[in-house]
Amino acid sequence: MNELHPTGFDYFVLPFTIGMIFVLLWCLGGAIRIIAELDSEDRKKFFKSLVNPKIMAKNIKEWFCDCLFHVKLWKRNKLLGYMHSSIAFGWFMIILIGHIEVALYIPERLHQPWYPIFFRYFVAVTDSTMKGSFFFFLMDFFLLVVLSGIVLAIIKRAHSRMFGMRRTTRASLTDLIGLYALWFIFPLRLLAEGFTADISGGSFLTQSLNNVLHSFLSDEANILPTWWAYSIALGVFMVILPFSRYMHIPSEILLIPMRNAGVKIRNPRKGISKLQVYSCPACGVCIDACPMSAVKANTRDTTVYLNRQIKRRNERRIAEISEKCLMCGKCTAVCPVGVEGDKLRIAQRSLTRYNLSPDYSTIDENVFIDRLGEKKRILYFAGCMTALTPSIKKALTSVMDKAGDEYTVMDEDGGICCGRPMLMAGRTESARAMIEKNTNIIRSSGATVLLLSCPICYKVFKENYDLEGIEIIHHTEYIDRLIAQGRISPSRSDLSYVYHDPCELGRGCGIYDAPRRVVAAAGTLVEAEKTGKENICCGGSLGSLTLGFDKRKVLTENALKNLTIADPDTIVTACPLCRSTFNRYADRPVLDIAEIVDQATEKK
Amino acid sequence: MNEIIVIVGGGIAGMEAASQLIKLGYSPIIIEKSDRLGGHVAKWNRLFPDMTPAKDVVDSLIASCKDANIFLNTEIYSVNRLKDRYNIMLSNGVSISARHILMTTGFKLFEASKKEEYGYGIYNQVVTNADLEHWFNGNADSRMDGSQMGAVGFVHCVGSRDEKARNSQCSKVCCITAIKQAIEMKEKFPDAEIYCFYMDLRLFGKKFEDFYTKAQRDHGIHFIRGRVSEVGENIEGKVIVKAEDTLLGKPIKVTLDLLVLMSGMVCNSENAKVASMLALPNDSDGFFMSTDNIMNINSSPKKGIHYAGACTGPKTVPETLAEARAAALEIHTSIKEQQ
Repeated sequence: MNELHPTGFDYFVLPFTIGMIFVLLWCLGGAIRIIAELDSEDRKKFFKSLVNPKIMAKNIKEWFCDCLFHVKLWKRNKLLGYMHSSIAFGWFMIILIGHIEVALYIPERLHQPWYPIFFRYFVAVTDSTMKGSFFFFLMDFFLLVVLSGIVLAIIKRAHSRMFGMRRTTRASLTDLIGLYALWFIFPLRLLAEGFTADISGGSFLTQSLNNVLHSFLSDEANILPTWWAYSIALGVFMVILPFSRYMHIPSEILLIPMRNAGVKIRNPRKGISKLQVYSCPACGVCIDACPMSAVKANTRDTTVYLNRQIKRRNERRIAEISEKCLMCGKCTAVCPVGVEGDKLRIAQRSLTRYNLSPDYSTIDENVFIDRLGEKKRILYFAGCMTALTPSIKKALTSVMDKAGDEYTVMDEDGGICCGRPMLMAGRTESARAMIEKNTNIIRSSGATVLLLSCPICYKVFKENYDLEGIEIIHHTEYIDRLIAQGRISPSRSDLSYVYHDPCELGRGCGIYDAPRRVVAAAGTLVEAEKTGKENICCGGSLGSLTLGFDKRKVLTENALKNLTIADPDTIVTACPLCRSTFNRYADRPVLDIAEIVDQATEKK
Repeated sequence: MNEIIVIVGGGIAGMEAASQLIKLGYSPIIIEKSDRLGGHVAKWNRLFPDMTPAKDVVDSLIASCKDANIFLNTEIYSVNRLKDRYNIMLSNGVSISARHILMTTGFKLFEASKKEEYGYGIYNQVVTNADLEHWFNGNADSRMDGSQMGAVGFVHCVGSRDEKARNSQCSKVCCITAIKQAIEMKEKFPDAEIYCFYMDLRLFGKKFEDFYTKAQRDHGIHFIRGRVSEVGENIEGKVIVKAEDTLLGKPIKVTLDLLVLMSGMVCNSENAKVASMLALPNDSDGFFMSTDNIMNINSSPKKGIHYAGACTGPKTVPETLAEARAAALEIHTSIKEQQ
């Protein structure tokens, strides 16, 4: 290839170059700031992870899968996945091949950052360049890929349902500017390269365009304005990028290694929290996922809007959104970039200070010493919610009797809360006091198994208690094991059951299969429309601090609609709170898993 | 021939309205879905505050409406609205044409088992106010028969003033009923300790306050302000109640031989069918909506359809009877105006 311009420079490259320098400096500054905001332990962890080959391999895999190919979106909806990955990967390849071309033909220009971008403007083909037609083809091919993605993006603006999305995010002004700039970049590039196709080479796309629109494209007066337009579109996009949702592109690159290093959210605005907020692409997947979205007005309280309000520092709305959430964790489960909406909110809630310091010193920690019998086996912590649903407690103890297991109920004569509601309210210190008290009681009892019938308790005992050596087990797992060991053998009834995954047990602790095996042993298991990880919160969650009782009815009815899609005879769940909530509005029986097993099991 | 008035429901409101309409020269027809007249009151033993036997009240009402046409075991099958009258088909095949319909469909008792934390249907020694009256009436009940009561508890506001039970209204009569039943239990078991767990006491009616004072002073009944948080059962089958005494600011725990749940009055869900045939609107509490809750509690927004008694909200017996008379008068004046 021959250079057409001796300096390799024209004024039209300025918008792009200024934009690029701006965005690079901004991102560099941001990255330094975020790393500086981490607490020293997390920072050390982060730097160490960068030299750990195993974590690095994971980082590289996720950079490709998440940032370029958007694998998670492909799994959600093929069209949505194609749209995102065609733009991201196609664009990436255009930049990459552009650099390869420069490196191969004019390596001395590699230091000029605009050169690979506007390569076609600065060069002309020579006889020997025909070997490079392979690259011409690739460039056109990936340009076509990106253009197809842009076309889909335009269609999606009007017909989001085609892409599996009922509701999408309402774009902010900067988002819109970024969006239109992005839409313009690639058609302008096509046009610009169409001009130069017969000078600097082109392939099926640019060359054909050059042939078709020859009269316009061969007019030299039109060339420069088009390249200017292309450069301006790029420049506008890059300057608006830090202030729009497109900030997610650079942010995610840093978020992936930081997450893999195990950095946890500590402060709602600093460090990894800030990174997560900026990594939010405002795709709106969380809007459809949120159980509160059953009421249209609530869509404004989903995670995507929390992120937006945090960026805008709208304190009133941040507090409002953070306190309203049910903490079902579904937005976190479905988020393609890994924004932890529930944890961000808990961190935000932890900023509120309460002048209450409960005193548990009067509670005797040694009540269970010598009370668990010879085998010192099961200590059953029923918890507050099971105390309010005594038939669950009765059924579970009956199942234990039938299986011949010895047990002691830890909170029969009063006891304190497991601490999970306090943790969800962001009141870590209050929770800590409860956790300490309960730990001492359990440890002194000498129990080997701690049995829970409430997933809310189960999650906190599993994650926040130090009970090494004591097996912590939820009653769904416990009953599953009793059946597997043949210690109880429930008889199958003709009834069909749908199993509702409680948020804290499913998304919270990843237990999906054990309860289904148990239900299938007692009758026919049918599935809800959205199930497993995608199941909808019952609406009764104690995670919300402000959602009134009257506001929850619609949410519960929506969850019930989802559950009864296969018209089951009975709704089965494994959480006393879900059970009470559904019982209020359900048109059919709602039972706990222990109850159906107890009914189906004969006394030995 | 006398003008026909259709009365839907043969409880005390229906009977009292029928007897007044007969006196005014009309021919009322009472449609009752069960096999007897008297509704809820007929199942009660004695009525506050004078301990009047409920049977006397019901019997005198039955006597005074004996000239009415009474269809027992009968429901409304369909209603056709004509220009100024209704054509009503009954389930027994009879068809009636009337210009005026009086709804006296009453209320339902809240299903206590829905408040699972109180253990009705789960623990043996938990009963409702209705169960207790049934037993007072001499019907056998293994939960109370032959047992010596050392301690008895009453839980006020079960399923009333309770958003979570989907009933935010006050049932009006439970406070005084609980006091009445507590006194009756104390009379039957003089050595028993009796506890009433209440949110606040609403003793609005004639002599109610005196009744309450008497319960404390003469019968030594303990009133504990605070909702019951949880109910359990011990190995001997006794009921363990945990509550908070909000006046002392302390949690308390008592072991009882019997726990009585004061089930509240809720809207009668069986009204829905008739209501939809007549296109009658419900108020936010689920009871029928009157055109005005002050001036026109007896009239519905539909021409020719009137209300009386607890179908528009919780009422005491005297209030219900007064409304029945008012409805009879309202029907009478509107017929006179039409002539």
